[in-house]
Amino acid sequence: MGFRRLRAAMLAAAVATLPIAAAPLPAAAQQRPLVWGDTLPATLDPHAIFDVPSQFVLLNVYDGLYRYQGNPPQLVPWLAESHTTSADGLTWDFTLREGIKFHDGSDMTAEDVVYSFRRLLAMNRAPAAAFSPVLRAENVTATGPRTVRFVLSSPYAPFLSAIPLVAIVNQRAIAPNVANNDWGAGWLAVNGAGSGAYRVDPATYQARVSLDLARFPQHFMGWSHTQRPIDTVRARPVMETSTRVLALLRGEIDATDSYLPTDQVERVDRNARTRVARDESMRVFIIRMNNRKPPFDNRDARLCFAHAFNYQGFNDVILRGLVVRNGGPNPNNLWGNPPDLVPYAFDLNLARQHCDRARAAGAPIGREIEIHVQNELEQTVQAAQMFQADLRRVGINLRIVPNTWAGITGATGQPQTTPDMWVHWVSTYFVDPENWVGQMYDSQFHGTWKASAWYSNAEVDTLLRRARASLDRAERERLYQAATRQVVADSPDIWVYNTLNLRGLARRVQGYSFSPVGSGGELRLMSLEN
Amino acid sequence: MARYILRRLLLALPALLGLVVLTFVLSRVVPADPAATLAGDAATPALIAEIRAQYGLDRPILEQAVIHLRQVLTGDFGRSVFSGRPVAEEILQRLPTTLELTFAALFIATVLGIPLGLVAALHHNGVVDNLVRVLSVGGLAIASFWLAIMLQLVFSMELDILPLRGRVDVAMGMPPRVTGFVLIDSLIAGRPELFVDGCRHLVLPAVTLSLPGIATIARFTRSGVLETLQKDFVLYARAAGYGRVRLAAIYVLRNAVTLVVTQVGLLFGALISGAVAVEAIFDWPGLGTYAVQAILSADYKALLAVTLVVGVVYAVVNVLVDVAQVVIDPRVAEEGR
Repeated sequence: MGFRRLRAAMLAAAVATLPIAAAPLPAAAQQRPLVWGDTLPATLDPHAIFDVPSQFVLLNVYDGLYRYQGNPPQLVPWLAESHTTSADGLTWDFTLREGIKFHDGSDMTAEDVVYSFRRLLAMNRAPAAAFSPVLRAENVTATGPRTVRFVLSSPYAPFLSAIPLVAIVNQRAIAPNVANNDWGAGWLAVNGAGSGAYRVDPATYQARVSLDLARFPQHFMGWSHTQRPIDTVRARPVMETSTRVLALLRGEIDATDSYLPTDQVERVDRNARTRVARDESMRVFIIRMNNRKPPFDNRDARLCFAHAFNYQGFNDVILRGLVVRNGGPNPNNLWGNPPDLVPYAFDLNLARQHCDRARAAGAPIGREIEIHVQNELEQTVQAAQMFQADLRRVGINLRIVPNTWAGITGATGQPQTTPDMWVHWVSTYFVDPENWVGQMYDSQFHGTWKASAWYSNAEVDTLLRRARASLDRAERERLYQAATRQVVADSPDIWVYNTLNLRGLARRVQGYSFSPVGSGGELRLMSLEN
Repeated sequence: MARYILRRLLLALPALLGLVVLTFVLSRVVPADPAATLAGDAATPALIAEIRAQYGLDRPILEQAVIHLRQVLTGDFGRSVFSGRPVAEEILQRLPTTLELTFAALFIATVLGIPLGLVAALHHNGVVDNLVRVLSVGGLAIASFWLAIMLQLVFSMELDILPLRGRVDVAMGMPPRVTGFVLIDSLIAGRPELFVDGCRHLVLPAVTLSLPGIATIARFTRSGVLETLQKDFVLYARAAGYGRVRLAAIYVLRNAVTLVVTQVGLLFGALISGAVAVEAIFDWPGLGTYAVQAILSADYKALLAVTLVVGVVYAVVNVLVDVAQVVIDPRVAEEGR
């Protein structure tokens, strides 16, 4: 094929003209860049967004005071070398490491940390939500060149768990680019101002299309942990699953997203050039029920539905056993989850008994129930279809309504507009039971999509609020376990599984290390064979 | 002529105005709320309400509509709620990419469709004619995403002669932006290898997108030519001893082209809507993928702007088609009075 030779020649010519950001390697060791095929966030601004794709930018371009590493995730000091907490749990003092450099070569100081938190709170976007209830901008202060003090308005145990969400940004890089009081949001959406292991190349950046990263040799953690660090990374999101798999098999990309469909796993593993990394994550698959809408205000009705879902059929047959049964709101592998929790079983006879009881109590079991699915996520559709067939056998008529994430979450502000049922995952925002049972079943979160079961139980509210304010880990563990047991007994939702993240990788990628926060996208840990 | 063009343009304005109003109403009927998505995973009800107020989503719908219309009329499309960037900027960055794809598909559809239709008509009810008929029906019936995946499997995976996805080779990168059209910018930058690469990336998506176009143009050419062949002047010419080929080239085709040009305007709309699916499969960074992402994230500002831009492009193309028809056959303008 003449094309191949032509392409090789063109590639060589192109590579030869590439500006290599790091010190040039000897020509023999010239490394092919890593091509990352996972989804990119809508913006590069780490304070404007928090979703799964944004963690790629957060972990590679920026650093936080603390960071989650490994699986199950451990919270390790990162930019901070240590912290102390006052006895009342309100005052938190962090000490920065020495000699941290931003990408422009300037030194990071406590002032940058203060600026970052003030910017976060002023912009008041997704990552701020974990802090805004307990932290005011004026209560973040630099007490020295390397020391920062946070004074909370009320005790909030998950504070440290949420600290890794906040990227420390370079005040000096942002200041000249502030336009009409936007904290530089317009500029930082398409630029980088971090200290992370990789630098953004703003010249070639196109939102959701291409992001080029170059290794930052002066990163404070150093590079002694790897022999062959990756010098150049090209993030090229692939939208369609089929194209993504083909691109990996063909070697056009080195990594897919971490939600490889289960029916593609074998195909990717069989290929000599590629493999699938399987890692237990903390991402729970849930079928929600609107507890404010009859028949779901009746516990028997809810139990009827909980016993009518074929867990084993879905997990082991449709998803080929590539998930882990998870019988409660928290991931099994998280602390604070009762170790002896017995998941509800698929049992249509039991379901019928509960339904009969609910009917006898006047619950409108006979009405058509709507279940909203996220059309862009095939698995939510599959789950609903299977559920529909089994519910028909107990005399329940389920109608599947195609919708989108934005469409459903926009409707969960009130119980009247919240769907009867809907299907989604709860991913790791921060590693604390607060992220799951805390925000899903404490009635103070009503009006958010996470609390869209509209579950209300005064006893559970008390337990969760005490757990949120306590600084004693053992006590929190006890409180969360008690709350979770009570929630599971009330069966406000249907909990199906905990995800195994499946990422297709080129075999030349070494050192891939998964953590539920960031889904294994931390590039500094990886190296390339060729 | 100038008056004719002006009148055509003015006629397009109310349609575009209607489009602005209609898309706005649609975006509000669908209960997608970007505030909930923006507030993220640890949202509090207070935060969602605050974001709603910030974007004016809590105001009466009529007031929102008036504000939106006023902004659009002053050319202000606002900022994308998600990227925080001006929507106009994002769209301008992507519009040329989509136009490259649609023009390429239109070109393929024309250069293949016209000869196919012509040959079919000249061999009326022959083998070729029947083949073209099958193609016309099939070309319109085949789902573009299925065809796209098939082409990928054959030409990329099996034969390995064309790239699978993207606008340019990952290692090469985009040329410095001048016009936004990769094929033009690569030549301006003096990088012929990039031009070639850009063309190779264009082949599969453009072919996928052009198939319904080929079918439509072939069908219209065929019926146009058949109709013309029945006309008196053709009979006279035949009697005068003109050969088939010459006849077809000079008289028949010219008449048929008028019919085809009419179709191009309509076809262009179909191409733009078809581009959404094709762009998604080939990771073509154009307006189609932008629209899909806007829908999935309820980025209504971006979505309204994309719809309007596509509407304007469509209107302009149709005015150009009208003008071309007048150039080919001045009687059309007379009829329009």
